[in-house]
Amino acid sequence: MTLTPTLLLAGIERTLNALLARDMAAPTRLSRLAGSRLLLRLERPALTLLIGFHPHGIDLMRQDEPDESAVDTVVELDTETLGELLGGESLERLMFRGRLAIRGRVHLLEEVRDLFFDLDIDWEGELARWLGDVPAHSLAEGLKRMARWGLRAQEEMRADIAEYVFEEARLLPGRQQLDTLRDHLTELEVAADRLEARLNRLRRRLESEATA
Amino acid sequence: MSPHSTPGDQRTTHFGYQEVPIEEKASRVADVFHSVAARYDVMNDLMSFGIHRLWKRLTIERSGVRPGHSVLDIAGGTGDLTLKFSRMVGPRGRVVLADINESMLRVGRDKLLDNGVGGNVEYVQANAECLPFPDNSFDCITIAFGLRNVTDKDAALRSMARVLKPGGRLLVLEFSKPNNPVLSRAYDEYSFRLLPTMGQMVAGDADSYRYLAESIRMHPDQETLKQMMEAAGLERVEYTNLTGGIVALHRGIKL
Repeated sequence: MTLTPTLLLAGIERTLNALLARDMAAPTRLSRLAGSRLLLRLERPALTLLIGFHPHGIDLMRQDEPDESAVDTVVELDTETLGELLGGESLERLMFRGRLAIRGRVHLLEEVRDLFFDLDIDWEGELARWLGDVPAHSLAEGLKRMARWGLRAQEEMRADIAEYVFEEARLLPGRQQLDTLRDHLTELEVAADRLEARLNRLRRRLESEATA
Repeated sequence: MSPHSTPGDQRTTHFGYQEVPIEEKASRVADVFHSVAARYDVMNDLMSFGIHRLWKRLTIERSGVRPGHSVLDIAGGTGDLTLKFSRMVGPRGRVVLADINESMLRVGRDKLLDNGVGGNVEYVQANAECLPFPDNSFDCITIAFGLRNVTDKDAALRSMARVLKPGGRLLVLEFSKPNNPVLSRAYDEYSFRLLPTMGQMVAGDADSYRYLAESIRMHPDQETLKQMMEAAGLERVEYTNLTGGIVALHRGIKL
């Protein structure tokens, strides 16, 4: 029997618990969830996972013979829906589209998602444990500056490319030109419909005069 | 695998590859574990390259333990299984960590307390052959890497079946027989050459780790242990080979 899925789950559990341990607010939220159990049934690959919550983190376990009566919430979904769920898609929308089935305490799934989405990890504090306060602060500031520069450079590059394509080289129509063109096309479509209706009426009149 | 009589009518059993009087085995096994208790976790990680944690994890997944259950972790050693079980049963359940060896029990209790585990865990020094609990007491019993050290394994399995509730599960995680000849050869080389050297370097005790390798070879294979569990009164007994049969997880249900 392969131990690979067990190894993967152990790795995921360890990583998530390490992240939770680095968020100062996580213990309060975890204490509210402590004792809750959520059963996650995934289709393709068929996998049933039990997620248990305790004051220090979570337990992830594969279940071969799951007992639904022993859990608070059962969630059934496919991998694609799981991706959307983790991407922030609304639970209600997924449920109405029939892609997500939840039985039991519906709010538990929302609370679990919030637990991980609201993680506020103090990276600088973690770095300070290893490097000391001053180097960690300098490194964190350097990284923040680099991130800000990266964002600014990305925005400037996008604006420069747009200006060249739409204004200077006129390779593509701009947004305003496109909207105007769309309006003109709509007017043309309406006029063509009217003309077609008039022609039809004229043809019917000529046919009735010819028969009379 | 019960004790047997010799021509001189002195009842003996095996201690690794040696034949010893039955009354001696428990104290000799105790000496081994007194010697390794302090470095037990480190040695387990080193010897198995950390895989023992996955074997134990799989045991927990197969246990079916849920909130409110009573769990008995026999030969619980340093409390790896008890730690997880105590979270799974919650405040309404209870976990009993039992071990015949006082040193191992003390190390396990300290480790669990350091991990914030307290309210629902009890510690009992007990011999698996005559468990000090009423009939039908536990929803799940586990014994991980402990059965091969028990003198009378049949008596121990009967005792476990007795204290298990109807519908309860017994899980036995133990070294077994590799099912691949190449792996078996490599495993022998590793067990008899490398393991005692590592034991000497890390725990300062080569003999205990030589005993470990010998006791694994003397332990019943997968099918024999399955029959022993059935003879003890367990039903639907099945086993899963892990890491090529180096370890096997047996599971039986008391109906």
